[in-house]
Amino acid sequence: MTKEIVLEGLKKLLTNEQINVDADDLYDATADRYKKYAKAKKVLDNPSPCAIVYPKNSSEVSDLLMFCNQNQVNVIPRSGKTATEGGLENWKELAVVIDGKNLNEIVNIDTYNMQATIQAGVALQDLEDELRKVGYTTGHSPQSKPVAQYGGLVATRSIGQLSTLYGGIEDMVVGLECVFPNGHISRIKNVPRRAGGPDIRHIAIGNEGTLCYITEVTIKIFKHFPENNKFYGYLIKDIDTGIKVLREVFTNSYRPSVARAYSEEDARQHFYHFHKDKCVLIFMAEGPQAIVEATGAGIEEAVEKFQEGIIEQVDSSLIEDWFNHLNWSQQDIDDEVEEMINNDSHSGYTTEISADWATVSQIYDNVIKRIRSEFRFADDLTMLGGHSSHSYLNGTNMYFVYQYTINCEPEDEFRMYHHPLQTIIVEETLKLGGSMCHHHGIGKYRNQWTRQEHGSAYYMLETLKEAFDPKGIMSYGNIYYQEDAAKYQQ
Amino acid sequence: MKIICLVKFTPDVDQFQYDYEKNILIRENVKLVINPDDACALGFALGLKKKTPEVVIEAVTMGPLNVTAMMADILRRKVDLATILSDRQYVGSDTYATSRIIGKYLETADYDVILTGSHSRDGDTAQIPGQLAEYLKLNQISQIRKIDQPSMLNKRALVEVDSEKYLETYEIPLPAILSVGRESNYRLPFVRYDDLDLDVSDRLRIIDNDSLAVDSKKIGLKGSPTKVIKSYPIDYQKKEQVIVKNDDQGIDMVMAFLEKEGYL
Repeated sequence: MTKEIVLEGLKKLLTNEQINVDADDLYDATADRYKKYAKAKKVLDNPSPCAIVYPKNSSEVSDLLMFCNQNQVNVIPRSGKTATEGGLENWKELAVVIDGKNLNEIVNIDTYNMQATIQAGVALQDLEDELRKVGYTTGHSPQSKPVAQYGGLVATRSIGQLSTLYGGIEDMVVGLECVFPNGHISRIKNVPRRAGGPDIRHIAIGNEGTLCYITEVTIKIFKHFPENNKFYGYLIKDIDTGIKVLREVFTNSYRPSVARAYSEEDARQHFYHFHKDKCVLIFMAEGPQAIVEATGAGIEEAVEKFQEGIIEQVDSSLIEDWFNHLNWSQQDIDDEVEEMINNDSHSGYTTEISADWATVSQIYDNVIKRIRSEFRFADDLTMLGGHSSHSYLNGTNMYFVYQYTINCEPEDEFRMYHHPLQTIIVEETLKLGGSMCHHHGIGKYRNQWTRQEHGSAYYMLETLKEAFDPKGIMSYGNIYYQEDAAKYQQ
Repeated sequence: MKIICLVKFTPDVDQFQYDYEKNILIRENVKLVINPDDACALGFALGLKKKTPEVVIEAVTMGPLNVTAMMADILRRKVDLATILSDRQYVGSDTYATSRIIGKYLETADYDVILTGSHSRDGDTAQIPGQLAEYLKLNQISQIRKIDQPSMLNKRALVEVDSEKYLETYEIPLPAILSVGRESNYRLPFVRYDDLDLDVSDRLRIIDNDSLAVDSKKIGLKGSPTKVIKSYPIDYQKKEQVIVKNDDQGIDMVMAFLEKEGYL
């Protein structure tokens, strides 16, 4: 099988307009934001896909998957293109990107049953805009909201900035349709709950393109009360104080939509106008008036309990202003790439983990200490810190943030900086029993720890792959470690 | 072709922090880096070697032994040979004595051309290349912005020089000393990931004065005729920081500032 034969085969399934072989677009499809610096500098060394294709319906997705399955062509499902962990990177000579661009229909908004059905390529922002017109919201608000699309959001177990009230995407998906490599189309029906065996939605949710292609999802929608929003902000002594207040709020069953604690370093870049070189704790209470009032009271009560760690309260309008400018747009992404093309230098990344309340501060301290003492290029770090931004009854996440001056060739950047830093974070997290990835997905550069992440339960993950994708054509390298592809990681 | 590149390691003055209250530079944790002009010269040489692999590059520096690690990194950037001229007796040498020491080494060295930077960033000195040329009886030219690569291989270097008013082109027979300015933008490549721990010890040599045998009366403080009459620190002014909100008032302030400063 050659690229030419693959293209011939695709032409039998789709129109010419549905097949993109533009050289710039194929280069763009070669990697995602994990290698954003090397990509901007045009030095990627992994193969480009043969084509990007745009099916118009599930039937065409089915035909495409069967063709690729029969001919051992790697398939990279894509919609939104905001991946940060290598999930959209290609490691195979023969590969086809199936993009959800034409699966762009908002099928139904059902305010009576509080659910909306959308195809994979519908942008989250577009659905949100439609829902706002009728007083509803998706409740899903990742920073990538203006760009992200539903197929990608569901496939990566996305989470939004309001997750502590509305939940992660896995709490929102009611039902879905997905297509398997053998061409089989499965529809999981939309019901409030059922005890009909294991919850099979979770085979598709978070599969990162390794098991199936998600074509349609039905999600919950929520009534929206933005006029009631209340914001709270505090300068605090240390991040541990922030974690303790967060725990107090959540274990008392309050559900603010935003609840975050920032280290000094991270606060400096987010809250330049008021941080005073201190850690920052913020909340947003959202919903019907009575719930907002009760949530606010719960926040104030928790803050009062840990008063010795609270330095001062911040004007709430500053928090509101920050929140209203939080998302990044396609223009922000393009500007960042342009900056990297023009200048040899600065890049920033994040790695997100989760752990229970008892260990998350310890993980944070261990990671920071180890990076400072062990990371070979620690002198090049211009920022190292983190924040907790998604809390649960039994624990929270930690979003490590690091920026550095790049003193190496673009080809080596991820090997010298991002990956060694991520390695320390993952190792310290797994050592204390946390999860190495909270909401970005495993992608390709954390797959070497997937087995350790899941322990004896890895058997289940492995068996899913064998059952649904026995030829291994789906998103080669995502989630599952591939010995043959280690050259792209090391 | 054999190229000798002279390099100096200077404090990274761009990274200095300044104590505005005491009016002093904070020198703690300031790293040594390759003098930027020298880095450009070395960058040009390595670019030529990349296109013409038979080119051999030797990097030469004079300094204390704590520059050894940095010279090893230069070797990891694909330079063939590194030489450190180091001896306690060299401490305190001014540019004149330094030129004499380096010149003594170069007298016995094999080369087709010597590349240097134009200026040294730490003291803003530029005497070494000219003094070396005098010592070695070679032609020398400073403030080079561009060197024509093929001409180097033809033993008559075509160089573009910034003479402040004009860009001038000169042809210089080799061997000569060509001094490159930072504005040339010749980029020094980084050490590649696979070479980070490359053992280069067999290509790094340290030469002391027992080997070089420069007259001890003509080196160090006692061999340095330069007398500093007065030195003064640069008077850094703390820049006023104003934080504005992302609102109409803030935008008006930024616009007024840009207009006042002549940007709009």
